[in-house]
Amino acid sequence: MNNRVRELRGERGWSQADLADKLDVSRQTVNAIETGKYDPSLPLAFRIARLLRLPIESIFQPEKD
Amino acid sequence: MKPISKTQYELRVFAAMMIYVVLVLALLPQARHAEGLAIRVVYSLIPVLPLLYVVWLIGRRIRWSDELEQRTHLIGLGIASAIVGVFSLIGGFLAAADVLPESTAVSLLIWVFPLMMVSYGIAQRQAAQRYGGSFCDETEGMRKDLSFALLAAIFAAIALWFQWRAVDALTLGVFYGFSAAFAIAAMLFALRRRRHAEQEGE
Repeated sequence: MNNRVRELRGERGWSQADLADKLDVSRQTVNAIETGKYDPSLPLAFRIARLLRLPIESIFQPEKD
Repeated sequence: MKPISKTQYELRVFAAMMIYVVLVLALLPQARHAEGLAIRVVYSLIPVLPLLYVVWLIGRRIRWSDELEQRTHLIGLGIASAIVGVFSLIGGFLAAADVLPESTAVSLLIWVFPLMMVSYGIAQRQAAQRYGGSFCDETEGMRKDLSFALLAAIFAAIALWFQWRAVDALTLGVFYGFSAAFAIAAMLFALRRRRHAEQEGE
């Protein structure tokens, strides 16, 4: 799955630690999501979307076949 | 119940393990020679108490971890269970075939829990690395140089205790060896920390 979390976090001027704090996860988890090493669960993806005030599909897109 | 930070968790595990080592060294040698079954049972089982506390701490830590950390803990515990299970089975078969003396097989049981914890720790860190984590990351938890220095001191203290009790040279060498290895790791992490501080200062 591709995502725009790093780009959207950067636009808001947040560090990985800031975003981790807001989502109540570890900084390593934010880093793993941003680098595409880990796909978040649906509840966490919704929390990210709510925090960034964007629809979930504009943040996470399935990889093209 | 409040979640505990990684530093609090590591400090409590260290404290519990130190109490465990002291209890094992102080009580287990006496357990065999103590008079009365009840006293022998008490002497043998008291060292288990700090380990039960560590198990409870691990459970609490996992419960309050986020979803990725829980996944890495699950991978670590799965691999550790498989390793310990296979080794126990091998030991059991060898003892059943009289290849391994029964007394040796029984004394090996003492190492089941430490093997489980060590393999769990290594496998969990390996799993975390797959998701971009690093063993050298010091943003959370105790300082690595201090952790390793503490481990070096604990193993040196055990080795000194063994030396005082005139234990065999192999056991003595193992504990002094571990102590030296941890001391070197502590120095390397201290140097790394100093270099990072200098780079940030420039």
